Amino acid sequence: MIDETSRRAAPTRRPWRGFAIGAVAALLIGGGYATANAATVNGKTKDKTAAAPVVQPPRGTGVAAVVNAANAFLATLTDDQKAEVVLDFSAANATAWSNLPCGGTCRPGIGLGTLTDTQLAAAKVVLKAAQGTGHSTGFDQAMQILQADDILADSQGSGSDPAPTGSTDPAATASSDPSATATADPSATATATATATATDVPTDIPSGTPPSGGPGGGGGPGGGGYGSGIYFLAFLGTPSATGTWQLHFGGHHLAVNLTYKAGKVAGASPYFVGVEPTSFTDDAGATVQPLSIMHDGMLKLTSSLTAAQQVKAKLAASFSDVLIGPGKDGQFPTTKEGISVRELTPAQKKLVLAAIHPWVAVVDDATAKQLMKTYESELNQTFVSYSGGLGLDTHGDYVRIDGPGVWIEFICQDGVVFRDQIHFHTVYRDHTRDYGGEFTF
Amino acid sequence: MRTPSLFRLLAGIAVAVPATFLLLGASPASAHPMPHSVVLLDVHDTSVTAALELPVTDLQTAAGTTDPVALRTYLTAHIRPVTTDGRPWTVTVGDIAMSRAEQTSTGPYSEVTATAVLTPPAGADVRHFTLDYDVIVHQVVTHIALVSVRQDWAAGQTAGASSVGTVQIDIRSMTVPPLTVDLGKGSAWRGFVAMVHLGGEHILTGTDHLLFLMILLLPAPLLAVRGRWRTPVTPRTAVTRIGRTTLAFTVGHSIALAVSALGHVEFPAWPVEAFIAASILVGAVHAVRPIFPGREALIAGVFGLGHGMAFSFTLAEMQLSTGQLALSLLGFNLGIELVQLLLVALALPGLLAVARLRAGAALRVTGATVTAIAATGWLADRLGAPNPVARAADSAGSHTTPMLAVLAASAIVAVLWGARTRRKKDQTGAVAVSPG
Repeated sequence: MIDETSRRAAPTRRPWRGFAIGAVAALLIGGGYATANAATVNGKTKDKTAAAPVVQPPRGTGVAAVVNAANAFLATLTDDQKAEVVLDFSAANATAWSNLPCGGTCRPGIGLGTLTDTQLAAAKVVLKAAQGTGHSTGFDQAMQILQADDILADSQGSGSDPAPTGSTDPAATASSDPSATATADPSATATATATATATDVPTDIPSGTPPSGGPGGGGGPGGGGYGSGIYFLAFLGTPSATGTWQLHFGGHHLAVNLTYKAGKVAGASPYFVGVEPTSFTDDAGATVQPLSIMHDGMLKLTSSLTAAQQVKAKLAASFSDVLIGPGKDGQFPTTKEGISVRELTPAQKKLVLAAIHPWVAVVDDATAKQLMKTYESELNQTFVSYSGGLGLDTHGDYVRIDGPGVWIEFICQDGVVFRDQIHFHTVYRDHTRDYGGEFTF
Repeated sequence: MRTPSLFRLLAGIAVAVPATFLLLGASPASAHPMPHSVVLLDVHDTSVTAALELPVTDLQTAAGTTDPVALRTYLTAHIRPVTTDGRPWTVTVGDIAMSRAEQTSTGPYSEVTATAVLTPPAGADVRHFTLDYDVIVHQVVTHIALVSVRQDWAAGQTAGASSVGTVQIDIRSMTVPPLTVDLGKGSAWRGFVAMVHLGGEHILTGTDHLLFLMILLLPAPLLAVRGRWRTPVTPRTAVTRIGRTTLAFTVGHSIALAVSALGHVEFPAWPVEAFIAASILVGAVHAVRPIFPGREALIAGVFGLGHGMAFSFTLAEMQLSTGQLALSLLGFNLGIELVQLLLVALALPGLLAVARLRAGAALRVTGATVTAIAATGWLADRLGAPNPVARAADSAGSHTTPMLAVLAASAIVAVLWGARTRRKKDQTGAVAVSPG
């Protein structure tokens, strides 16, 4: 044995040892690298066993009904799920919404696809109470947007992932949104947004969550794809009939932000709603056109403009998307452009109000009525403008309504999935009431 | 005692080199529902080249045309770099072409690509300037242009893209603010280090170079007798041969790289690439039947010339000044050598072991056959017949981690096997495997 030991140290053996060190080192590094890669793979690990109390229909009316429904929904959740839903009412969380199919990486909340049937039903009760009873507006419209996204998912082959970078890399979302940049340094702002989102949103999700997580770690199925499961519900602040909090519901082509303060709705905006495809057939064989109510209202208005009015209303600039999309909070043009509603006929003024209404109807009926009253009183300080064509059927056709309060943009864009069709993007904001006026930008 | 310290050095390289590759991050991704413009800056000694990628739909809206001549005028009017004290640079718009592209969430779309050479007035700083750029954005106010640096030798950036900023409308004022470009300080050292990196990466991902060397080394531990590979030579002889062949390959490609880069000799790419494919094929045949036994080093040197020319393409693309080029050559070569040394070191135990295995001949012929198939695929591809074999062989270069892992694992297995057979030999006193 002694002999063998001494032999092992013999010079002719040494090369092998050297190789072994190098080889082992390379192997370890390689292995570590592979593990790190594997860790970024998105996993869906949700505890679905949380069947809890039976959902009660919301008690009360108005904000009280919303709060009751919200609490009933929360009661169906596990503590971990609650932590995904109830977040701080911070500017970072409030503004972290998007129109993009970027799953949970670019918006707060819990994915509908991760909920049990009971939980999902309770979530819908909340949305119904908060978003009003209008036909093709509010809750009804939101559900149609979800349906449209299922169409996109089907057309992409069972919800394949068209935006893989979006699902795992919060930074990708940030740069998607170079947006938050009225400031001098775009990259800095974008980074700040990403960091805030990634750190402010609680990520204490059950084991199995990818370590690279961030808010995307708790994302729904597919993360970056299309489909009605990839829509997210969040309460920023604790739902209450006395305090200040915000309801966020969003996903691809949808961002509902309703801010409650002391038992009243302090803001029903920003509200982004878009749709692709603009028209489809549902399971029952009925034609669904989620944004036709908005499109038709705007079209009636633009069609009513006389040649002279058109000249005044025409904008010099061209558009390929809405101007004040996600991340552009508070960035309203200083100068209002287009034709003043003051110059329009009484009939046309009615068309302006009718055009505004479908967006305002994102909120409960009583609040919508009040907001419409406000916007009506401000009509003479409101402007209507357009770019591209008036037909609202071609890429770049754009209409804007800009008042002291209301700001609505409607744009036709070339399709992303259905390339030979146009699709719609729209946004409703309020110069003073976005996020209930809680933040300055 | 010199030998162990050499191997310790190799072990060090084995740790250091892959580690540096892990640090090579992916370029930042970006997403926007409508495609945005991309402006990629290549920073040279006295000028900046801007490669533009402009989505056709918005460009057509803004410029009212896609006619190349009219576009040249349009682009010149909307790209206005100025020095920090306000003096205008000159802008020369070069090639304009049409292509297809796709960005995250946009679906495929058509884009116009163009290059513009931006030259500061004599004596002005090329690394600090104001880019008053509003192509498309002046008209399509929702359009954005992401500006990044693609190559900046003096800042040590040879690949990827680092963001400079975003050109977009300031909505409140509805004006497009100019972009301040601050590329920081550049230095020759940073450029040099980046080139070491690039050289290492080049050999690691350039499957063809690597395969040539490996296939030439495959029969190195064997003795050729009467047109056949026969018994294994001593490990010392094998290592010497492997060292000589590797060194000759290095000398060959270094000479060609230096001559072609410094002499500004431009070789046409496809014959060089085809020559490399042919060299691998020759190497594969040699691994089956010795066709130039004992002259592997010479062959490695000659074919190395060809590989060196291929390396020079990488440097030629970078349009460096002579000083930068000289440093780049040194750094690039150093990077190549370091990684080459690492890979040969990892392969060595396996090569030696295979030569001693009873199934060694079968393994050698299998390896040579696979290599010959890849080489034939490459050869056909480079002579103008694209084929799946070439594509598969190329894609192997993008899997460096598994490749290194396999090499390392083979080294470990070989070492363990070597140790075991020796112990057996020690215990039984019998010669289980002849060392030749």
